[in-house]
Amino acid sequence: MSYSNQISISKSGVPILAVAILAVIFAFGLFVVGYDQGHIFSVIMGEKAFDEMLIHELTHDMRHAAGFPCH
Amino acid sequence: MKTLLFLALVLFSGFSAGIVHGLTNLAIVEPFLDNAIAIENQNLFASGEAEDTPSFWIEYDSYRTWQKGGQVLAGAILGTSVGALFGIVYAYSRNSLPDGHSVKKTLTLASIMWATLFLIPFIKYPANPPTVGDPETVVLRSIMYLGFIALSGFGALGFYKVYKKLLHQKKILAFVGYAAYITIIFVLMPPNPDEISASMEMVNGFRTMSLVAVTVFWVANAIILGLLWQKYNPDKKLETKVS
Repeated sequence: MSYSNQISISKSGVPILAVAILAVIFAFGLFVVGYDQGHIFSVIMGEKAFDEMLIHELTHDMRHAAGFPCH
Repeated sequence: MKTLLFLALVLFSGFSAGIVHGLTNLAIVEPFLDNAIAIENQNLFASGEAEDTPSFWIEYDSYRTWQKGGQVLAGAILGTSVGALFGIVYAYSRNSLPDGHSVKKTLTLASIMWATLFLIPFIKYPANPPTVGDPETVVLRSIMYLGFIALSGFGALGFYKVYKKLLHQKKILAFVGYAAYITIIFVLMPPNPDEISASMEMVNGFRTMSLVAVTVFWVANAIILGLLWQKYNPDKKLETKVS
């Protein structure tokens, strides 16, 4: 008579790469909607971006509605 | 866990809930924003910085239509961003959340994150409509608001670690500890330096609708992610059979 012992090992970790990607998306999205005052477009437009504040103006209503200090 | 599926579920649920947030704002917050901006316009006319002419209103209407479209776009971006954070926390905490349907788990976590990352900071530093807020203090107010959120969030994380280590009957001490911690932070953090000269009826109406709309976002994000997680289950089971 032969015996067969089986042990099932289940593993379910959190992928670090996915966490890193999500963390970057979190920080970038929060900055865009809550804090940008022309910084992002200044990479392309220079100082003019700080005068026009396109992202600030575009996200203006959501900034107020979500509780971020806007101006 | 299946990485791509996990990312897709988290980002889609945050994006969708963000769209819901933006549309909710358009329906219930926007009337207060329009009223507040109308007051700003009257102040501009009174100070001579702008003239009450047809061309002003044509330009204003076009600008506001663009901004209202931006409300939904910003909702999608902010929703994806906050949804990403929610996804990270859910991935690490899902096995500690109450047993049962994934929606039960996501709603439980969302209620904790809503309270610690939004409601408590909101009580200290409530949302304000246009006309309220001195541009000279915006950096200080931004630092205080983000700082309070960070202190509350990391405090909650720290006391969650304490909660996990305590024995069953003593777990309540973690809640008591967080309550004491956040009360001290609440008292120590400086108040909003700006005086409110606008009508408090308008300001409080705005704040109430803002609170409702953000709450709708957290509920929507939890329900969408919970339903998707239940259906597609990104948890990858690596089974090794040892004979």
